[in-house]
Amino acid sequence: MLIDFMLGAVVSALLNITLLLVVIATYVQNMRVIRSYYTSGLVLVTVLLMIQNIVIVLFWSTLYMDDKALMMSADMVSHYLFAINVIQTIGLSVLVWITRR
Amino acid sequence: MFYLVVQNYQLNNTQNLKKGFFISDINSEQSVFTITLPTFSFSKIIPTNIFSFSGTDVTQSNPRFRMILWSIIAGTRGGINRAKILNLIKETPMNANKIATVLNLDHKTVIHHVKILAKNELVEKAEKDYGAEYYLTQIMKNNQSVLEEIMSKIGPK
Repeated sequence: MLIDFMLGAVVSALLNITLLLVVIATYVQNMRVIRSYYTSGLVLVTVLLMIQNIVIVLFWSTLYMDDKALMMSADMVSHYLFAINVIQTIGLSVLVWITRR
Repeated sequence: MFYLVVQNYQLNNTQNLKKGFFISDINSEQSVFTITLPTFSFSKIIPTNIFSFSGTDVTQSNPRFRMILWSIIAGTRGGINRAKILNLIKETPMNANKIATVLNLDHKTVIHHVKILAKNELVEKAEKDYGAEYYLTQIMKNNQSVLEEIMSKIGPK
């Protein structure tokens, strides 16, 4: 069975973005009341993680789609990217559960 | 190595300062030689005031507990209400109903918050069936300066 790991990775990245939006919303709400290094640090870390996932989606929708040669070479290592993103999704789901409890 | 020892000395943390290794002679019951090594701990290598979130003196509080309290209050939804509950019951233990009326919160919300706080061993429930009061645990009492620091950041609201 042929699995498009690149598509799987992008779906996982989109999931990560939604999970991160939930976490960032909570952190920003807290930061508005408690202004400290801790709360701003939490927001900064989650925003950087979000940028990382946005870059993956942007790469897939522009460079990957346009360049056939790049597509082939990217497909050779796409299962690594898929694994990384799925692990991140699991981790972020735990974080959402802890944060929204 | 030298830096480690100097830091330990400055922090004036005498307990668990060094781990000793020694080889003793069974016949003479005297130690042949002793090597003392400083234990590895981040809180001792890195001066605690680097992690200080404000100007208040927090050297007496446990740095790990500080992190836990900060994450429960600043890193969760409704954490600010949790801080208010802790601040309210630090002097007089109260039951859930009274906390709800004083803080103008829903009774169910207070029960939920107190449950989470109890799971993290910040509060304890009195052994009573009806109207059981909640009070701070010993570790929370020992580190009240952290709570005061966070409450000062929350402000008058």
